[in-house]
Amino acid sequence: MRFYALSVYLFLYIPIGVIALFSFNAGRNASQLQGLSTKWYGVALSNPFVMDALKTSLTVALTAAFLATAFGTMAAVALQGIHGPVRKAFDLLIYVAVMIPGIVIGIATLIGLVTVFDQLNPLLATIWPGGATPPKLQMGMGSLIAAHTMFLMALVIIIVRARLAGMDRALTEASSDLYATPFGTFRQVTLPLIFPAVLAGFLLSFTFSFDDFIIAFFVAGSETTLPVYVFSSIRRGVTPEINAIGTMVLAVSLILLFAAQILLRRGARPTR
Amino acid sequence: MSIRTRNWLLLAPAGTLFLALLIVPLTVVLVFSFGERAPAGGVVPAFTLEQYANLPARWTAFKNTLTLAPIGTLAALLIAYPLAYFLAVRADPKWKTILLVLVIVPFWTSILIRSYAWIFLLGGRGLPALLEWIGIDGVRLINTPFAVLVGIIYGYLPLMVFPIYVSLDRLDKRLLEASSDLGAPPWRTFLQVTLPLSVPGIATGCMLVFILLMGEFLIPAMLGGGKVFFVGNALVDLFLQSRNWAYGSAVAVALVVIMLITVTIYMRLLNRLGARRDDVAIM
Amino acid sequence: MTKVTDYISKQKFMEELNRFRKGSITRRHFLNVTGLGAATAVMGAALPGLLARPAFAAGDIGDRVILATWPNYHDPASFQAFTEATGAHVQMNVFGSNEEMLAKLQAGGSGWDVFVPTNYTITTYVGEDLIEPLDTSMLPNYDPAAYDPRFSDAGSVDGKLYAVPKNWGTTGFVVNNNHTGGHKMTSWKEFWDMTMDSFSGRAMVHDYQLTTIGNALKYFGYSFNSIDEKELAEAEKLLIAAKPHLFAISSDYQPSIRNGDAWMSMAWTGDGKQLNTDMPEIEYVLGVEGGEIWSDYYAVPKGAPHRDAAYALINFLLDPQVNAKEVLAHGYPTADAHTNKLLPESLLNDPILYPAQELLTALEFGAAVTLTDPNRAELMARFKSA
Repeated sequence: MRFYALSVYLFLYIPIGVIALFSFNAGRNASQLQGLSTKWYGVALSNPFVMDALKTSLTVALTAAFLATAFGTMAAVALQGIHGPVRKAFDLLIYVAVMIPGIVIGIATLIGLVTVFDQLNPLLATIWPGGATPPKLQMGMGSLIAAHTMFLMALVIIIVRARLAGMDRALTEASSDLYATPFGTFRQVTLPLIFPAVLAGFLLSFTFSFDDFIIAFFVAGSETTLPVYVFSSIRRGVTPEINAIGTMVLAVSLILLFAAQILLRRGARPTR
Repeated sequence: MSIRTRNWLLLAPAGTLFLALLIVPLTVVLVFSFGERAPAGGVVPAFTLEQYANLPARWTAFKNTLTLAPIGTLAALLIAYPLAYFLAVRADPKWKTILLVLVIVPFWTSILIRSYAWIFLLGGRGLPALLEWIGIDGVRLINTPFAVLVGIIYGYLPLMVFPIYVSLDRLDKRLLEASSDLGAPPWRTFLQVTLPLSVPGIATGCMLVFILLMGEFLIPAMLGGGKVFFVGNALVDLFLQSRNWAYGSAVAVALVVIMLITVTIYMRLLNRLGARRDDVAIM
Repeated sequence: MTKVTDYISKQKFMEELNRFRKGSITRRHFLNVTGLGAATAVMGAALPGLLARPAFAAGDIGDRVILATWPNYHDPASFQAFTEATGAHVQMNVFGSNEEMLAKLQAGGSGWDVFVPTNYTITTYVGEDLIEPLDTSMLPNYDPAAYDPRFSDAGSVDGKLYAVPKNWGTTGFVVNNNHTGGHKMTSWKEFWDMTMDSFSGRAMVHDYQLTTIGNALKYFGYSFNSIDEKELAEAEKLLIAAKPHLFAISSDYQPSIRNGDAWMSMAWTGDGKQLNTDMPEIEYVLGVEGGEIWSDYYAVPKGAPHRDAAYALINFLLDPQVNAKEVLAHGYPTADAHTNKLLPESLLNDPILYPAQELLTALEFGAAVTLTDPNRAELMARFKSA
């Protein structure tokens, strides 16, 4: 059993080890080790396009995760108190949003938005006041954030809802019996109870958005996220720069992960 | 403000997003799927079933997807289950958290970069060279369905380990002790106590991996050398090479319909097996 | 460069720049002397209009330019030189086929400033209103008279100039002679026969229909551009029979050829030259039956976000001094007489870049209809999914 576990860990880590090892390659060939050096880290860090891609990825992931968590939590709370056709419609939409493969979301968003923009742009031009040029609707960071938010919001709703379902209704009822406003009840009773789920939703959303390639590939327009940049670089013929980027992303994620662990442990309150 | 108004306000952003980025795009795809290809690419509005009649031309892609997705899911399950079991039941509690974190960590590097590592490992200078060294010649791994399978298992293993671990961890260890105290051999304890209790975790993990595999594009593109062809690859080619939006839309609609049917049947089956629906939900 | 007063005179700068261009000093020396490397920004502010050509003046073209191009098609040093001269960084996006570029542009918002379409695509881009007529006043280095019209004609549509020539070349195949047992490959017929025989699992074809189908048509002696259904059906049969024997379907074949996984691949001139230079056992072969001859162009998409930088980059790359360095780095011939004057004799006689006349005459330029023919697109899809 132990041996088995060990071999699975080897399976998981040998490729990571290969990536990290080659990031220290002195040569420019990514599949042949020619001495060790840290120069590719310097190359990656001074490449403005890597930094731009990283900035784009972080902006998209943070915004999408924040919006998805906010909208998703709001919807989950509201759906608790709703029955009938609206509830059914939302259940169906959530189900569809989660079931549909990312590639279909990417393609559908692309051709959907391009078609809608083609209709709206001339309209905007005619109604825009003062003869100034109106903003041209096109694919870009906005469409990418929107596509991510839609999909991630569905995930957040599911996660938060599972937590809400396990919650004792008597608590909120008691709160309103004690004349707390609905918002007061939410802030003081519901939110602390569902907070772990909200946080989990946020982290999951961030991870997903940051790592997403296929939706960004179709929807990002002229923006380049880190995965899109990496994809393009792999085609261009890989230099160890890509390995350096991967190793750095991994290292930073690890640091954040452990930092979060420590913070959570310190701030842990009994929530159950 | 009444509760009703409050609920409407809370639902407004979610509803708007769903409308603008799910309903509208899917409707456009559906409308386009009845259209015709424009000469230079794109779509001419029409009402024809020609694109759907033409679907058998992508039969191989559907067949490959519908074969490799279940096989990949099953393979990931078989590899993940013992590990999840080890982590939840056997591992030293002191090390448990760190071991668990170690399963997720690879997930934090881009799947692109991880797949790229496999191009090297499975290529002529990687494993085959190692095998040659110990006397096994002529093994070819890269650009084969096997390479794609390895990539898939590698990419999605954590998604399988995690839910199974969660369901096994919830399991009351005293049940296992009771079972063995009553003289049940370990395999019976496993079959009659452990396995049934971990069904929700298995169900969640399988569904997560299955959904992702059905739309997979990247791993076959990188490790299959353009020869292992999934529906995802067919879609990318239709939109990014032959620019046939009408036909591409029909393929996308077909994929979505197949997914919805498979997953719905799957959920029904699970419900019948007695798994609680909440457990099957993601995470 | 510690003191800001360290400027050199305008005259001295130009002298140094010219010496650098001529290659008589290293880039490092040039940067040290002129102080460009350490303080491009300072220079931009302190020495406006210093450089001879307006498009080169630092600071007024923005800090970036986005180029969509093909794999292994540029000398990274040229981009560095461009960045140092203008302050604009070059982001290179690499594509595998013209179809892919066209699809990206059609879907809108590609964000490119400059891209590199091949001869047979330009009428389609113009028809779809995707590229802008070039403003030659911003391209002082472009001298139409210097170009062999065979390789610059396609840049003009209805008398308007939309694209200026980059390089031309041929599509043949590379083969690793370590594995041929002394046999010399000469034809597409052999390419396909070997693929299905002793090279099984070792051959690669491009991941786009034009050349893959075109060179399969050549097996039967049909036109590279054929859209005849009967002829295409024969090509399809060959492709489907060969598919299980292929190592990969990919337009990025250099890594696999270099590491020895693949022994043979459809290839373009420059890749053939690059591979042959590094590994003499790799030979570049043009099929005796013919095949493709092509010419690539620089063009600017409509709505390019950094239009000035786009023109500056094209103009920079057309500079014969720069262009000559590019040719030496990537091994694709140019049709520009000014550049050719600067190239060494050995390169101008290189049989990979300039094949023998009888091989050249058998080649065909790709046609616009070959690109957009729906039957060929579907055939390729059936081949890939087979």
